Amino acid sequence: MNCYEHTLITRHDIQENQSKNIIEKYQNLINKHSGKVVKIEEWGLRNLSYEIKKNKKGHYIHIKFDGTGETIQELENAENIDEMLIRFLTVKVKKHDLDSNYFEKKETSTTTEKYEKK
Amino acid sequence: MKRNKKNIKRKSSSYSRLSLFQKSGTKFFKPCPLSGKEAPTISYKNIKVLKKYISESGRILPSRVTSVSQKKQKELARAIKQARVLALI
Repeated sequence: MNCYEHTLITRHDIQENQSKNIIEKYQNLINKHSGKVVKIEEWGLRNLSYEIKKNKKGHYIHIKFDGTGETIQELENAENIDEMLIRFLTVKVKKHDLDSNYFEKKETSTTTEKYEKK
Repeated sequence: MKRNKKNIKRKSSSYSRLSLFQKSGTKFFKPCPLSGKEAPTISYKNIKVLKKYISESGRILPSRVTSVSQKKQKELARAIKQARVLALI
């Protein structure tokens, strides 16, 4: 078993229900294929530093999990087909760091306020 | 003469004060800012740190400018490239 960090970027125009569904979907997928989810972080809506597939903004979802090479293959195969996702990245780490939080909740709260104003 | 020209170009940019090309005769040595006990962790998530080590146009600064050690420069370059994939930088 190895430790992995996986980050997804979804489109900005999805609703909350859909984002929850996406999280659940991939959580189940990891658990099915001999993996174990340790932690899920939502970084919220962020501006992309460059356009990806004509999107300027995206929701970031960060998943920390233990798994094997198979888990990642299945995960990435499913993600390649998914149209709701813009991009994803898997990084292997030696140890999960669960303490540090680089994307604080303040940021997400401000972004939601902006959303309401619109 | 060529070197002089380079020098002038550097001075115009924002990281000129970090440049190694200083007055001849003065010793210039700065310890690596990323190694040591209280050094910040290098990670693609830690954008604050990574932004210090890229130029305005988004290129990775050479270690001779920033005096980062070889080992840490490797980690840094990797982290910056990962952050680029996720459009964080």
